[in-house]
Amino acid sequence: MTSKTLRIESGESTRRSYGGALPASHGPVISGEGINFSFGQGELQKQILFDVQLEIQPGEIVLLTGPSGSGKTTLLTLIAGLRTLQEGRLNVLGHSLCQAPQQNLLDLRRKIGFIFQAHNLLPYLTALQNVQVMFDLQPHVSPAEGRDRAVAMLKDVGLGDRLNYHVSRLSGGQRQRVAIARALVGGPQLVLADEPTAALDSVSGREVVNILQRLAREQGRPILMVTHDARVLDIADRVLEMQDGRLQTNTVRTERPSAHQSATAASALST
Amino acid sequence: MSQRIALSWLQLRHEKMKLFAAVAGVMVSVILMWMQLGLMKALFASAVRFHGSLNGELVLVHSQYEHLLHSKPFSSRLLYRLLGSSAVDDVFAISMAPSEWKNPWNGEMRSVQCYGIETDQPCLSISGLPEQLQELRSTDQFLYDRGSRPRFGDVIGAVERKEPVEPEINRRRMILSGLVDLGASFGVDGSILVSHANFLRLFSERKPGMIDVGVVRLRDTSLLPELQKQFQEQLGKEVSVLTVEQFKDRELRYWKSATPIGVIFTAGTVVGFFIGFIVVYQILYTDVTNHLPQYATMKAMGFSNGYLYRLVLEQSLQLAVLGYIPGTFITALLYAGLQKATQLPLELDLTRGVALIAVTVMMCAFSGVLAVRKLASADPAEVF
Repeated sequence: MTSKTLRIESGESTRRSYGGALPASHGPVISGEGINFSFGQGELQKQILFDVQLEIQPGEIVLLTGPSGSGKTTLLTLIAGLRTLQEGRLNVLGHSLCQAPQQNLLDLRRKIGFIFQAHNLLPYLTALQNVQVMFDLQPHVSPAEGRDRAVAMLKDVGLGDRLNYHVSRLSGGQRQRVAIARALVGGPQLVLADEPTAALDSVSGREVVNILQRLAREQGRPILMVTHDARVLDIADRVLEMQDGRLQTNTVRTERPSAHQSATAASALST
Repeated sequence: MSQRIALSWLQLRHEKMKLFAAVAGVMVSVILMWMQLGLMKALFASAVRFHGSLNGELVLVHSQYEHLLHSKPFSSRLLYRLLGSSAVDDVFAISMAPSEWKNPWNGEMRSVQCYGIETDQPCLSISGLPEQLQELRSTDQFLYDRGSRPRFGDVIGAVERKEPVEPEINRRRMILSGLVDLGASFGVDGSILVSHANFLRLFSERKPGMIDVGVVRLRDTSLLPELQKQFQEQLGKEVSVLTVEQFKDRELRYWKSATPIGVIFTAGTVVGFFIGFIVVYQILYTDVTNHLPQYATMKAMGFSNGYLYRLVLEQSLQLAVLGYIPGTFITALLYAGLQKATQLPLELDLTRGVALIAVTVMMCAFSGVLAVRKLASADPAEVF
C-alpha cells in the first residue's frame, strides 16, 4: 500500500522497474494507411478491410469498437504481424510490415504484450509459472530475476496470494489478471488486447480493464484494445470505431485522465 | 525454484493417464528389445560355452568339422605329435558324440551330448571337474552337467537326496558319479562327461585312437600366431589348427548361417522398436493436437517454432528415459526367471544397456520429430 500512496504523491509517471525500459520514441507506435485486406481467392474473395488508416501515439490507450464482423480483429492480427499485409503501408514499433520476413514478425511480436479473449494460459502451470515462462523469450534475464519480476507483476495485479495456484483453481477474472501480468511482465512496447472482458462478468471485467489501464499508464505503455463492451470505453484516450471494414473518423471520447485520477480510481477499486 | 520453467515436463505430467500410457508403451518396447537381444546373445554365448572353457590356447579339429553335434573324428596321433614341440606344455584329446539317454524315471529317450575326456588332467576349466576326475576312471561312471534341461529327469534332485542315478545311455547302464557345470545351449540340451575308455564302451563303432577335438596348451602364449601357423604346416590339411576364438567363431558361424536364429531375434528387436515408436508417436501426436491452441498462443506471443519443437522433443526424451528405467528393471526380473527355466546365460550387460538406451532415445526422438510436424498447423492468427 505504501507504494501506492507514493505513486499518488509522486504524480505523473511512476515507471516501475519490472518493465523493460521504453525507448524514448517520438513518432507514432503504430501508423498505417491504405490498408486493404481480403480473405479467400477468386470469386470467394471477401474484402474485410477497406483503406484503413490509423495512428497511435506512445502512451495512448486506444479502443477499437464496432459490430462483430467489422474487421476489428483482422486489423489487430495485421498489426500484431500474425497475418501478411496485402495492401497498404503499416509500421509497428519501427518495423515495416510490408513484405516483412517471418523472423522480423517474430521479433516484433516479442515486443508486444498480448491479451486474448480467453485467457489462453497454459493449464498445466501455476499463475507464477505462466508469467515466468515469458522470460524464455529473454535469455539475458536470469531465472532468479525473471521470477522476481513475475512475482512483482502478479502482486501488482492483485494476485500476490495466488502465485502458486494452478490455472484451474483461479476464477475467470483472476485468470485474465494473470494474462495481463503475462502480457506486461516482459516490458512490451505495445499492448494488444482482444476483447479481454468478453468472458467475464461486469465486475471482474471492470476490474481487469482498470488494472490494465493503471499499469499501462504507470509504465507509459500504449494499448490498442478491441472491444465491444460499452462499459469500458471510458478508460480510453481515444475510441476508434469500425464499420464494415472501414475506420470511422477518430473520435476522442475522453480526455486523457491524469495519473493521479487513474491511480486513485484503481486503488479504490482494488481495495 | 530459481530455475527456468521445466515446461516440457510440466506439460507431460499434466495428464497422468496419458503419461502412464506413453511410459508403459516405451517400457514394453524396451522389455521386448531386451528380451530379443538378450536371448540372441544368450543363445550364442551358450553355444560356445564348451569352447570357452577349454584348457588351452589352440584347438585341433578335423578340417571338415562343422559344429559340436556334427564333428568328424581324426587320429589322435596328429595331436600327440605336437608334444614334440618344446613350446607345447600339454595336449588333451576329446571325443564327442550325441548319445541316447533313457530317462530313468519315465523311460523317455533323449539325446545327450557325450564327451570322452582324459582323466589325468582336466581339459575343461569348469567347476566340479578337477575333484571328480578320478571317479571317471571306474567302468561306466559319468559326470552330468548340472545345466542340462529338466527333460532328462530329476537328476540333480536325486543327487541331492543321495539317491543313485543309473540311466541307460546308448543302451548301456551307466552310473552317475557327480555333477559339473557346463550349461545347456539351444543345440545341446544336456551333456555328460566320461573317460575315453568308457566313451568307447558307449560308442562301440568308434575306433580307438580317433578323437574329435584336440586341445593344445602352450608354455608361452605370446607365440600363438607363429605356433598356430607352424603346427598347421606340420600337421597338414587333415586337421585345422584354430585358436579358441576361431573355434568359437566356427560354431557361431554355423548357428548364424544355418539357422534363422539371428534373423528371428533381430526381427523381434525391430518389432519392439516399432511398437515403442508407434505408441510414442501416437501419444505425442494427439498431445500436440490437443495443445495446438496453446501452441498457437505461444507462437503469437513470440515463441519461435524452434522453441516449441524443442518442447515436444524434450518430452519424447523424457518418455524414453521414463520407459527405459522400469523396462530394464522388469527385464532383470524376467531374465532371472528365464535363466532358471532355460539355463541360458541371460545377463543385462552394459554394452547392450548403452546401445538400448540409445535406440530408445532414437525411437522416441524419431516419434517426436514426426509429431512435431503437426505444430506447423498451429496458426497464431487463429487465437484472436
